[in-house]
Amino acid sequence: MKDSMKPVSPLDTSSIPCTINGSEINLNVPPAKRLLSVLRDDLAMTGTKRSCDIGRCGACMVMVDGVPVNSCLTMAYQCTGKSITTIEGISASGMDPIQRAFLQEGGFQCGYCTPGMIISVKALLDHNPDPSALEIEEALSGNICRCTGYGGIKRAVQKAIEWRKEAYESITD
Amino acid sequence: MAANAQGVAEAPFVWHPRSAAEAWQLKQTLGTEGVFTAGATLLRTQWESGLAVMPNHFINIGAIEELHGFEIDSVSGTGSFGAMTTLSHIRTSPQVGESFPVLVEATRNIAAPSIRNLATIGGNILSMVGDSLPALLLYDSVLHWHDGTNGLQEPLSEWLSTASAHAAWKERLLMSVELTLPILDSNTKRFVAYHKVGRRDAFTPSVVTAALTMQLDSEDRLSDVRLALGGGQTIPYRLESIESYLNGKLANKKTISEVYALIVEQFEPKGDTFVPVSYRKKAAANLIASELWKAARTAR
Repeated sequence: MKDSMKPVSPLDTSSIPCTINGSEINLNVPPAKRLLSVLRDDLAMTGTKRSCDIGRCGACMVMVDGVPVNSCLTMAYQCTGKSITTIEGISASGMDPIQRAFLQEGGFQCGYCTPGMIISVKALLDHNPDPSALEIEEALSGNICRCTGYGGIKRAVQKAIEWRKEAYESITD
Repeated sequence: MAANAQGVAEAPFVWHPRSAAEAWQLKQTLGTEGVFTAGATLLRTQWESGLAVMPNHFINIGAIEELHGFEIDSVSGTGSFGAMTTLSHIRTSPQVGESFPVLVEATRNIAAPSIRNLATIGGNILSMVGDSLPALLLYDSVLHWHDGTNGLQEPLSEWLSTASAHAAWKERLLMSVELTLPILDSNTKRFVAYHKVGRRDAFTPSVVTAALTMQLDSEDRLSDVRLALGGGQTIPYRLESIESYLNGKLANKKTISEVYALIVEQFEPKGDTFVPVSYRKKAAANLIASELWKAARTAR
């Protein structure tokens, strides 16, 4: 029987190599386990938040190969060979300008949605450093804030864009 | 929060076939115990919310190379999209936007970018109520299946009209969907429109989804009208009798009033507790009437 015609058993918990925040790792988990549960329960990386469990709220957002995905909808086997970045990875070498912008502009109240927001903004600006207002709205359409409203969040995104531009110009001058 | 979120099993076997033939063979062997999985975004929400039971076997089709990517042939005016093509790939492709703008607009209206990065065009089609479907119907799309023999081709409209009544298609593997560009008459101008009406501005289930394309000549005469409606749990379909009615008519106030009444009379959406049938009919009729009005104004 070909290898591809053999199933990965739910008891086989050693077959998922991937990279998390720059570190190579073999996930010793059942293949259909949710990435959200892997991060929070198996790896104690609780910056990624659990909320709706059905991909609606964006609290569990992580980047997989540089694009945002809902970790509550992503299964462990779908991460094979992928590079995963969580909110812990964003700030590994100090606070990211996006995080500073959220602090300065009051882009949060309870803060529960904030890690997911930061991830979505990071993915957007890494891909498109100068997005339009419509592009920002589309990029954040999968992130829901239920306490502070979106005014501060939009200001934070604009501030982050501004700071990233300044940082880029200071390097290239 | 989903009521049984903590209780969903995580114990299925996961198979990773490398070819369509392998995947199909696995499905025949596993029967209803096995389910093809791609992005699995819709499946996952159904399992979490208790709408469906997680199967014992996943047949992960993500490693089957021939299901990925798309090709657009501008000479023949066709586009072929592998079933594993993500909605994000379609949404962000300038090439697709140039050839099939209604499809790109449809994908922009599906969920949010993070979902679209996982979700596939194949999964959206097979949901039977996906918001890509009205757009695909405009392009006379054809589904290409692997059925263990030489493959099977089936017009999307035919499959949609029978899919809920027959389960035989669940034994096949959707390989790709092929779209055909409408041929533009040189003396006319083509208009396209896609609207999704929901209860929120973005990332919302559809109340009504409408897709429309048509040609207008210099005298405002309509031709090659294609109109597809869906939304909510309504399986989208082309309203062919209204298309026939519009072809050859002038895009004027009288025609717009008549087509409004025809849509209210003939469109048969499914209602629910929140949005009744009558509202969906009126919303659909208003969307189409407004597009006809805009097209007539623009053409002058």
